[in-house]
Amino acid sequence: MSEKEIIASAIEAIIDGNEEKALAVARQAIELKLDLMAVLNSGFSEGIRQVGNLFERGEKFLPELIEAALIMEKVTDILNEAIMKEKATGIEKKGTMVIATVEGDVHDIGKGIVISMVKTQGVNVIDLGRDVSTDAIIAGALEHKADIIGTSALLTSTISQQKKLEDELRRRGLRERFKTIVGGAPVTQKFADKIGADAYAEDAAEAVVKVLELLERSKA
Amino acid sequence: MGKIFSRMGDGSALWLTEDELRQELLAGTEDAADRGKISPLNEDELERLFEICASPQKVVSVEPGHEVVHSFDAGTLKFPLRGGVPVDRLGTVLAHERAFCSDTFEVGHCDYSFKPVKAIIAEERQSMEQIQLNATIPVYYGAMPNLGLYTKPDGPVDNWSELLPLGKIAEAREAQEEALELAVKDIYYVCEAMHEAGADGINLDTVGASGDADFMAALRAVEKLKSIYPEIHIEMGMAGEFVLGMHGGLEYDGIRLAGLYPHKQLQLAEKAGVDIFGPVINTKSNMSVPWNIARACTFVKACSEIAKIPIHPNAGMGVGGVPVSSTAPLDAISRASVALIEIGKADGL
Repeated sequence: MSEKEIIASAIEAIIDGNEEKALAVARQAIELKLDLMAVLNSGFSEGIRQVGNLFERGEKFLPELIEAALIMEKVTDILNEAIMKEKATGIEKKGTMVIATVEGDVHDIGKGIVISMVKTQGVNVIDLGRDVSTDAIIAGALEHKADIIGTSALLTSTISQQKKLEDELRRRGLRERFKTIVGGAPVTQKFADKIGADAYAEDAAEAVVKVLELLERSKA
Repeated sequence: MGKIFSRMGDGSALWLTEDELRQELLAGTEDAADRGKISPLNEDELERLFEICASPQKVVSVEPGHEVVHSFDAGTLKFPLRGGVPVDRLGTVLAHERAFCSDTFEVGHCDYSFKPVKAIIAEERQSMEQIQLNATIPVYYGAMPNLGLYTKPDGPVDNWSELLPLGKIAEAREAQEEALELAVKDIYYVCEAMHEAGADGINLDTVGASGDADFMAALRAVEKLKSIYPEIHIEMGMAGEFVLGMHGGLEYDGIRLAGLYPHKQLQLAEKAGVDIFGPVINTKSNMSVPWNIARACTFVKACSEIAKIPIHPNAGMGVGGVPVSSTAPLDAISRASVALIEIGKADGL
């Protein structure tokens, strides 16, 4: 089986939520001595991104999304072990992100989906919870040495907390230390630009792309 | 012609050329058609939508004789609670009847969920009787199934929002099935009591907010109510444009509930015995109002074409093409309303 075929099978296994097949594909990739990072990034991770898109369109559902994320974790463990043996080093975490639903807002379904999706991309994601004050978000980011602070707000009355976070980071001289990303139903790119956030994501699939971009930018 | 004043879905101002406006309308209807697997609006409908959206008047309206009735959700919450006007529920109903010329109105408790109402049902019945003695317009009693209230720590059932991220999918599904049985009992109990207290109708509002099990509870409760009280009038307003698959495997009448778009939701609501169906089409805050209106009209038209019962699409903050902003701009809300009636063929709002 060629690398291209393995990658296609990896995508298909994740979309179908077929754990047996996904694990078999991962093991086959190891046996064939393929580029495991390519199989992970272009195969399994791409599958997860497609599941996210299908979820956003109402064609996949929450249990299926979670199932796919869990399969992804198992696949990553297998591939990571193989890469460690090969290179005496594992798949490095691409960075750390803390994420919270802002103060006054208890909606966290969307945040949970973002966490599941971003984690599958090798990012260390720390969930600070919901209804989290600006002070607690900043304290969490400092404690976990985060690269990114992500906040979610579902209400028109709570998106002001995302601005408060930006202002507070600036006031404490911490703004350049973290990249920030905002999301939630009433949030827009325009709003993100207005408050000075580094990125905006409309949904979980876009959040994955934006988080990876932010991590690239913070390394540059 | 100069640029046309419009808005984004977050309510901010936007100016479009004629071509841009037409493109927004076309893209909006195509998005709905693609997602819902339904027909897009035709050229005539798009042309009429263009006229509605391009009108230089701040407020647009339908022609005399084409007005539709209004039903309300969270009726008695909006004026005293959200508006901060110090008036009780009876005063709110009478103000809507006598000053705002409302066609109908809805009474609801501030918790606006069936479960908490159960404990204060005697007081709610008394309020309904008092209101019915004073009001002439039909007065509904409304609340949400709100399945989340049955989960720990608010209720007895394990919390699926905690179980799912742990990968405990079977347990999460079981918890939802347990919660929906409890919700059916509570909805039935409250609706029966309010019906007997004189409510002219029952409004099951924001149905599906907790996902497919929430929708299932509402359908089952309606079915049970109708089997015992065939004359009871029930309106069902939805929470979103597709049923969120928190469970993913629940079926009603052999149809999987997760992922159903409004025209499919409607058919199940009809089967259960609903008398008025309120489809919801979410407004996308980062797309334009014309895009959102065209999209909403496409979904609502798909409902109207097959409906055997009246359709009252939700046209308020964040739904039905109306922007997501604390106060819905009048220009946008009037355009959305006219479009939903003329193009979507809505029977009411």
